[in-house]
Amino acid sequence: MRVVIAEDQALLREGLRRLFEDAGHDVIAAIEDADRLRAAISGDEPDLAVIDVRMPPSFTDEGIRAARWILDAHPDVGVLVLSQHVESAGAVGLVSQGGFGYLLKDRVLDVAEFLEAAERVARGGSALDPQVVASLVGGERDAFGALTDREREVLSLMAEGLTNNAIARRLVLTDRTVEGHVRSVLMKLDLTANEDAHRRVLAVITYLRAANHPR
Amino acid sequence: MIGGMRAARVALWVVVFLTAGVMAGAVLLDALSSRSTEPVWLSFVFPLAVAMSTGVGVVVATRRRDNPIGWLLLANGFVLALNGLAANYATYGVLEHSGSLPEADWAVLFDQSGWPTLFAAFTAIAFVFPDGRLPSPRWRPIALAAITSFTVFLLLSFLRPGSFEKPFDAVSSPLPQLPEAIFFAPFTIGALGMLASLFAAALAVRTRLRRASGIERSQIKLLAYAAALIPAAVVAGWVEGLMGSGSDTATVIGLVLVVLAIPLAIGVAVLRYRLYEVDRLINRTLVYVALSALLAATYAAVSLSLGVALGAGSTLPTAAATLAVALAFGALRSRVQMLVDRRFSRARYEGLQRVERYLVELRAGRAAPEATGEVLAAALGDPSLELFFWVPESEEHVDSSGRPAQVAPDSHRDLTPVRRGSLRLGAVLHDSALSERRDLLESVIDAAGLAIEIARLRAEVARRLAEVEQSRARIVTAGYEERRRLERDLHDGAQQRLVSIGLALRHVQGQLPAPSREAGELDSAVAELTEAIEELRELARGVRPARLDDGLGAALGELASRSALQTRVEATGERFADSLETAAYFVASEALANAAKHAQASQVTVTAARQNGSLLVCVRDDGVGGTRPAEGTGLGGMTDRVAALGGSLSVDSPPGQGTVVTAELPCES
Repeated sequence: MRVVIAEDQALLREGLRRLFEDAGHDVIAAIEDADRLRAAISGDEPDLAVIDVRMPPSFTDEGIRAARWILDAHPDVGVLVLSQHVESAGAVGLVSQGGFGYLLKDRVLDVAEFLEAAERVARGGSALDPQVVASLVGGERDAFGALTDREREVLSLMAEGLTNNAIARRLVLTDRTVEGHVRSVLMKLDLTANEDAHRRVLAVITYLRAANHPR
Repeated sequence: MIGGMRAARVALWVVVFLTAGVMAGAVLLDALSSRSTEPVWLSFVFPLAVAMSTGVGVVVATRRRDNPIGWLLLANGFVLALNGLAANYATYGVLEHSGSLPEADWAVLFDQSGWPTLFAAFTAIAFVFPDGRLPSPRWRPIALAAITSFTVFLLLSFLRPGSFEKPFDAVSSPLPQLPEAIFFAPFTIGALGMLASLFAAALAVRTRLRRASGIERSQIKLLAYAAALIPAAVVAGWVEGLMGSGSDTATVIGLVLVVLAIPLAIGVAVLRYRLYEVDRLINRTLVYVALSALLAATYAAVSLSLGVALGAGSTLPTAAATLAVALAFGALRSRVQMLVDRRFSRARYEGLQRVERYLVELRAGRAAPEATGEVLAAALGDPSLELFFWVPESEEHVDSSGRPAQVAPDSHRDLTPVRRGSLRLGAVLHDSALSERRDLLESVIDAAGLAIEIARLRAEVARRLAEVEQSRARIVTAGYEERRRLERDLHDGAQQRLVSIGLALRHVQGQLPAPSREAGELDSAVAELTEAIEELRELARGVRPARLDDGLGAALGELASRSALQTRVEATGERFADSLETAAYFVASEALANAAKHAQASQVTVTAARQNGSLLVCVRDDGVGGTRPAEGTGLGGMTDRVAALGGSLSVDSPPGQGTVVTAELPCES
């Protein structure tokens, strides 16, 4: 996997580079601002761009804007946005385009899960931080009253962008059992089953957001 | 505006030159005339009157452009000159050198019929004196009637039937003459209307004088004094004529005085130039004239009665009369002096009375110190008067509510500083006319000193309170700014550093053989780090939720999703000032925490909306109620912060009926 890293803090940038290189990936550029990121993407399309939300010059949402640009201009490049905290709701909306992930920065410390999410995004899948999912699932409890605890767990992992197979590994269940839970969840929430993982994420997120904002 | 000003200036000088030309013609003809029908002195009085009226007219019209009185004086001068020219032209061209001048019949016609014009300007001035406006809108029809009757009378005069009066009875009018039958009735009505207009003009002045106070009263009184010279001059003329001495000195002096005094008085009054001094001068003059008349009468009475009793030739009557006058003088003089003083000090006396009454009311608590300025305005008869207070720290003037005030004296208004002992209390901005009555001004201000000092203290308290309120709001806002900075620092600084350390540890871990003791220890170290990062994030959220950057609705939504209670949020998407959104967020946060901790509530509704110029945040739970705001740990602090932003926080918590916390934050300044 060919990776471009955009992170303004040198220490973290080097840490990320080593993380990907240790895992055998090819970091073709590690840069500190959005402008150079655009140049790097346009010059040599990578499989994945890992982008910090806050970057120079304004340290507000440069990362999100760069991500949006990449998704529009280079739809084949997966974009993984890293954030210090759950912020702009706009980032969550980008998940619907596929090939996009949004994670809190400290997820990198769980190397295996992080790399799994990164590879998923690079392949055109989705990754949504568990904390974002939790805030979506946490708000309106009534909407999920029909789900069992296990089903709710499965729902959360679906929203995070995990495939059935990954969910099975995470929950230490068999694939068949997970498939059963997924079917049950989708049926209870009245969602149509879809084999395409990121479309499934989209449906689940749309449902969650609608449940949180009844209007 | 500029164009209008230039046009007015051109018109002014056209009128002045026309008047000068007409007058020069009249004077020339008069000099050429060999047999003047009038006494010699009249030829001096006429140019004097024209010059005075025109001169004052120019000054008033330039200084008070918006006041028609200047133009009326100019018109008066012109009409006066025109009448003089007509008379002299007719005399020269008809009586002395018949046929030498063209169109002499027109001059005769104007001389015979144009005299009502002499009254027109002064009548108009009386209607609009001194501010150039009618006394009230109700006077408009009267003024219209006056203009109509003057016009009708003048027109009919020119069309009058019959021959001219002697010595012009041989000349025939150049205009057609109306038949007697048609002429008489309208002419009589016009004449009566004109007469009525003269009375109405006098009534207008009287109406004004009744209502007027302070400066306007002085203005009208000045005109009245000058106008009083007319009957005085008439009486003097009569007396002189009755004495049959053949001298006309008194008549001439009287006429000259009238001719000079009336335009001058009008000018002084309208321009307010040395108004009070002139007032004083005339007042004194009148009183001394009265004194002289009284003494003369005493002398005459004593000498006459004694002369009759003792027979002619005795020196006793003269001596006795002189003695009587000498005796009477002392007594009369002091009496008259007292009268003068009382008349003069009246404004001061009444002003001091007014201030004294106010001080009594103030002590009794029936009057507010803030009214001091108005009381001074009333006591000094100057409605435009304003009182300002001096603030030494900021070196500026403030008004009675403590707001900084621009104190700018101009051509009409002077600034008089107010001191009490060595303390500078403030300043009074007043009509320039009052500057000529320093005694009145200073004694009234002195008398009101205590009230002014109290009012100043109140103004200063009000100013400081406003300052404190502003600085409190600034402190709270700065506090929120500081929180935002702190939150940024935590996220961008410490937290990123911890992540970097974690990554370094993972890298080291990667170099180790997989199942080793060291690798396990590194695992738990990274787990600790993850915990620390999570705690740091919680801490930052408590300092200031980053979601506030996306608006109050987003932040409240996140707050609700983290709450232990089922929470519904209905928030406006509108954005407000950061300090308001932050305060609103923390109110909701505290209220939610209270609901979760104490209220045993199961459901909470958070609403945020703009209402009546305020951001209204309301948190309503279905718990046990009975919360007292003082007991609510966090809400006490919130009350202060909300108040600092000019808002209010209320807690409605009847036992058993849930709790409603409402914060109202004004968002319109």
